[in-house]
Amino acid sequence: MLEPVAVNFIDLTTANVLSLFVIGFVGGLVSGFIGSGGAFVLTPAMMSMGVAGVVAVASNMCHKFPKALVGAYKRYRFGHVDIKLGLVMAATASVGVWVGADIQQHVKFNYGEAGSNLYVSLSFVIVLAIVGSYVLRDAIRIYRTGDTHAEDRTSRLAAWVQSVEIPGTMIHFKTANVRVSVLFTIPLGLATGMLAATIAVGGFIGVPGMMYVLGAPALVASATELVTAFVMGLGGSIKYALHGLIDIRLTLILLAGSLFGIQLGAIGTTFVKPYLIKVVMAAIMLIVAVSRALMVPVYLTELGKLGLAPDTLAVLKHASFALLVLALCTGGIIISGAMLHGHRRIKPTLKDQPQAATE
Amino acid sequence: MAARKPYLGLIVSGLISGALYLALYLFHHEIMAAFTRTDGWYPALPVITAFAFSFTHGAFTGYFWEVLGITARHRG
Repeated sequence: MLEPVAVNFIDLTTANVLSLFVIGFVGGLVSGFIGSGGAFVLTPAMMSMGVAGVVAVASNMCHKFPKALVGAYKRYRFGHVDIKLGLVMAATASVGVWVGADIQQHVKFNYGEAGSNLYVSLSFVIVLAIVGSYVLRDAIRIYRTGDTHAEDRTSRLAAWVQSVEIPGTMIHFKTANVRVSVLFTIPLGLATGMLAATIAVGGFIGVPGMMYVLGAPALVASATELVTAFVMGLGGSIKYALHGLIDIRLTLILLAGSLFGIQLGAIGTTFVKPYLIKVVMAAIMLIVAVSRALMVPVYLTELGKLGLAPDTLAVLKHASFALLVLALCTGGIIISGAMLHGHRRIKPTLKDQPQAATE
Repeated sequence: MAARKPYLGLIVSGLISGALYLALYLFHHEIMAAFTRTDGWYPALPVITAFAFSFTHGAFTGYFWEVLGITARHRG
């Protein structure tokens, strides 16, 4: 038996329940569409309601794996999921989560709560700024060429990775339609897991990694990430459950909204041009990077390295949270708009060719 | 021709999902007390419950969009 951790579970108000439902819905919509990305706003949102940090993380994690399961099943039926790739990534990602959590604990032990927060925020800013800019540049390139309907072009890195033959390690991933050495998936999985343990959104490395390093199409990468997220989420939830940290009420209220969202997001991927997944991903990543960058001076002040006034700190904290919400809403609006646009575009075609709808 | 909409599935899964959420609301004190215990098999409760809700509520939300006419454009 493990010692229960002493935490207080909050009383839920109607306003809390409604906010969790709505945030869950938009988070689910984004996850169904780009494979991950809804979770980053949930933990701070729950903490702002008075939920203890560790309970917010645990309850968020326990809502992520069933959500990922439903999303993965839905997108599997659309033929987007490469189960083998998802499980191979999950195997090393699980190790990555363990390493990431260890580093996190080490930082917390040596530098305290503010040091740990600073580490998390800096990881957010560095990873999201680099990967987000790369994804955005790729999306802009596709838009400029005007060939937005085209299948993804294999990046130069992915072409090289696919050309490397290491006997005994080669795996063919059928749905992703790539044949690569399993050795290349190890650093990707590790990085995905470490990021998941640090900022709760491993997909911000996993999805671009599968696209640009392995050469999987955007649709397959975003869907396959849901399999990896399911495995990581399940493992993490068991760990938190063993310490009695999951507030099942929060988990189930989030699920109530996010299962509506994830189904809609998954359906959305069949309406839009593949490059739009990259646009949504880049937009969210870059806005979240700015949001976390605003928190860096706050933590530096807490560590005594900067001397900002309390009013300035309050403004920075509010602006940072507002940007997180903005990131999620931007994703939600782009996806909804693209679905509506796609629906209108298809309608006249359906009138002419009724069978096109069931092809 | 439009396919027949799954009204029966929507109603059945909706009732089950609604009943589960109602039970959560009515017995939340007892549920929270049991689900945060760390002895025996109690830690399995939140994980099993999350699975159960994902199946029933997931089925309901799937039917919900289908009945509204929001379905996938094509299947791969």
